Amino acid sequence: MTDTVVDGAFVDDPSVEDQSVEDESVVRAREVKALARREGWKRRLPILPALIFTIVVTQIPFLFTLFYSLTDWNISSIEPREFIGFDNYTSLNNPGEKFFREAAWVSVQMTVIAVLGSLFVGTGLAILLDRKFLGQGFIRTLLITPFLVMPVVASLLWKTQMFNKTFGLLNWLIESLGFEGIEFASRYPMASVITVLIWQWSPFMMLIVLAGLQGQDTSTLEAARVDGATTFGIFRQITFPQLRPYLELGTLLGAIYLIQVYDHIEVITGGVGTKNLPFWIAQRSIGGGNLFGLASAYSILVVIASIIIANIGLRVLSNLLEDDS
Amino acid sequence: MAVFTRAPKAEPILGQNRVVAHLLAVLTWVVGLLYFFPLLWLVLNGFKEEAVASGSPTLFFEPTLDRFGDVTEDAGNTLSFTEAFMNSFWIVLISTVFVMILAVPAAYALAIRPMRMWRDVLFFFISTKFLPIVGAIMPIYIIAQGFTVTIPLVGWELGWDSLLGSRTILVVLYTAMNLPLAVWMLRSFFAEVPKELIEAAQIDGCSLMGQIRQVILPIVAPGLAATALLCVIFAWNEFFLAVQLNSAGAGTIPVWVNSQQEFQGQFIAQFSAASVLAILPVVVAGWVAQKRMIRGLAMGAIK
Amino acid sequence: MAEVRYEAASRIYPGSEIPAVNALDLDITDGELLVLVGPSGSGKSTALRMLAGLEHVNEGSVWINDIDVTLKPPQDRDIAMVFQNYALYPSMTVGENMGFALKQAKVPKEERAERVAEAARILDLVPYLDRKPKNLSGGQRQRVAMGRAIVRSPQVFLMDEPLSNLDAKLRVQTRTELADLQARLGTTMVYVTHDQVEAMTMGHRVAVLKDGILQQVASPRELYKRPKNRFVAGFIGSPAMNLLDVERTEGEFRLSGELVELTSEMAAAAAAIDGTTFGLGVRPEHLKFTSDDSGIAGEVSVVEALGSESFLHVKVLHEGRDEVLVVHEAGDTQFGRGDHVTISVDGPVHIFAPDGESV
Repeated sequence: MTDTVVDGAFVDDPSVEDQSVEDESVVRAREVKALARREGWKRRLPILPALIFTIVVTQIPFLFTLFYSLTDWNISSIEPREFIGFDNYTSLNNPGEKFFREAAWVSVQMTVIAVLGSLFVGTGLAILLDRKFLGQGFIRTLLITPFLVMPVVASLLWKTQMFNKTFGLLNWLIESLGFEGIEFASRYPMASVITVLIWQWSPFMMLIVLAGLQGQDTSTLEAARVDGATTFGIFRQITFPQLRPYLELGTLLGAIYLIQVYDHIEVITGGVGTKNLPFWIAQRSIGGGNLFGLASAYSILVVIASIIIANIGLRVLSNLLEDDS
Repeated sequence: MAVFTRAPKAEPILGQNRVVAHLLAVLTWVVGLLYFFPLLWLVLNGFKEEAVASGSPTLFFEPTLDRFGDVTEDAGNTLSFTEAFMNSFWIVLISTVFVMILAVPAAYALAIRPMRMWRDVLFFFISTKFLPIVGAIMPIYIIAQGFTVTIPLVGWELGWDSLLGSRTILVVLYTAMNLPLAVWMLRSFFAEVPKELIEAAQIDGCSLMGQIRQVILPIVAPGLAATALLCVIFAWNEFFLAVQLNSAGAGTIPVWVNSQQEFQGQFIAQFSAASVLAILPVVVAGWVAQKRMIRGLAMGAIK
Repeated sequence: MAEVRYEAASRIYPGSEIPAVNALDLDITDGELLVLVGPSGSGKSTALRMLAGLEHVNEGSVWINDIDVTLKPPQDRDIAMVFQNYALYPSMTVGENMGFALKQAKVPKEERAERVAEAARILDLVPYLDRKPKNLSGGQRQRVAMGRAIVRSPQVFLMDEPLSNLDAKLRVQTRTELADLQARLGTTMVYVTHDQVEAMTMGHRVAVLKDGILQQVASPRELYKRPKNRFVAGFIGSPAMNLLDVERTEGEFRLSGELVELTSEMAAAAAAIDGTTFGLGVRPEHLKFTSDDSGIAGEVSVVEALGSESFLHVKVLHEGRDEVLVVHEAGDTQFGRGDHVTISVDGPVHIFAPDGESV
């Protein structure tokens, strides 16, 4: 025990001793609180560089965009940029701006179908790959490659060499079977774009699902076999529930990236019939529309919608943010 | 204990008897080859003469390296392959290194000694990807053009010159682009490290850096590799920002490959050759690292 | 070698009203093997971790050798800990695992190798020094965890259920080795377990915890003979003591109608306490079967024949309720399920006041 001299008296004075003992516990409580506070800062410190960097690089453009969305900025007009408040946002209710709603609908369709499609295909591929057979590694290597290819190349590849009426392989196949050739990109623009998207993203889903399949507990599967479950039964009732977190992760990551699809659309269809929100916003701004104010407003709306959807999504997919405890 | 044993290889779900197993193997081969076929076609076309490529589709031809030569020629003022390659190489390398440097401590903070609001912080990172880049390109362009600001009273000048057409702007933007993904993935890998292991290291007298270096990093290494690879893939393949900001200088491979199409029009063989060169580095990297990526993902991308 | 002291130490998790460890007062002498025992949630692991520095001490203090270590981080306390899951570093060999702490303390290489070799010798780990943990059996990993602790020659050993992950036979074997090792090294050891047999066989003294509160700390013998309250009485001893509620009628206690004889001190102490519902405890080994008619009548429901001894569960009627008394018999038993038997008390009886305290 440390010696304390309180008010000039010595510690063995009983009345003073009580006081000093009480002070000690008060001091202790304070020290513990200070320690806890220091701990708190030590915990936050490592994340600060990443956080500050992200805030600076992403929020500044965001704030600019927010600002522009409140103006009527037109690049090609001579008039100076004026502050118009929320007019850009309310203009969306104009019947003339129904294109925004159409673009939103296209975005939803494209994202949902592409995500679910690649999830489905990816899971199928993963199931096929999840066994030992000759050349497993080789086939897996082949299968992941489409994901590694840059969107511009993939899009051009499909456009000119698959879908193309004159040069495309698909048409060569169709024509040799006696049917008339189809210019896929113009006849079925949505399907064409979505096909390429699924082709590119299924390998990503496949990897995630493969990881999930490999993490399975063999004993549960064996127990099910002993209990007489059929192959499909096992998949449906044991494997699939275990895969859920993986599927959910794939859905989340896939959606985040697929909502922003732009390159594919630009290359394959030039926007015809496939104007999703990013493409449409681009048209309004750099694509000749020059209506930066309006385009910014649309971008902000996309952000708000995404935040709402993501919030809902993450509440549902709660195990993605589970703590280790 | 997940860190000691490999994840047990699951009994194949389907095909418990041999005939079915063989049939499925054949099916898998067929599916795999078909799936890859468009890329095979691309590679083949790269080796064809232009006339052959635009003619009737054929698998047999006399291969030539001429197209590859054509596209790698230095064409004077336009962006050459070597230039674009070096630009892409450095930009991707440096931005990925930056991402890892920033994301590893962040993941540590979020996983091993989480602060109270860690879920919100994680959500914030992800939310930065919600803004369509096409919408934000204007502000980014303006900021990249450079500005100077003079602080009153002191007379100091702050700001920078135009970053357009430089490697810096893309390094910065790609880092910001990949950071959320890296933080997310690394966090779940770090969360896999058993808490007791870290406590044991503490009791053994290990400093914080020591704990990270000697105990945590060896365990999360596959996860780090998987994350880095994904960052490389996304950065290398990024097109929109590169073409908007760097067409004047420091163009990347995607910009180069796109210009090949613009200049050469419908020359399929030439373009195929260019494409093969453009995608090769990342494809090879992905092939080499795929096992590590799966192991990394299996170890705990989901948690 | 060190003394360890908990002074009114408490651990309250943020957001929780009830302390996980509630004002623990415990003195551990130098060289002692003290066992912290209790059911899950009793706070024993938390108390150990408070000593290790892995848990904050919200109130009170913790002392090692008269130094207040309450606010010191784990690395400054000169302690070694063995975790339930061993927590071996997977990327290092056995030798590196054991030498890790010494490396952190900048001990020179030769000395390190010597100390590791010495510990490996004691624990029979020499052939495994170059293996990685994933190539070891559970028992071997456990010994490596021990080796890691021994090598450091710390002031205090902390053991958090180190044997729970071993199979039963190995557990019994290792238990004796551990106790032997501690006696040889003479280092103070604080040992946490939920297994009261482990506690009783290993500990110099045993501290029983429940809901974060220390119930009693004493030698195993003392705990067995004079449990301080109903909980300790029922927790210590295998199989557990027979515990029944009993009504005091006219100053007397009756077990299934039979009068229970008390010592004069107990009777006097009991008389001084108000209340009617008391607790009655008698250990299986203090009950026997009699052939005469006076005694407690019952029907055998379960027979546990272990060869060296038998335990019979006998249904009796006590105060209008069906109760079960477990009776111990040496060797084989002649009785079987369904037999009618008579039981008499052949040893000390424990009476517990209505609040649970021993009388």
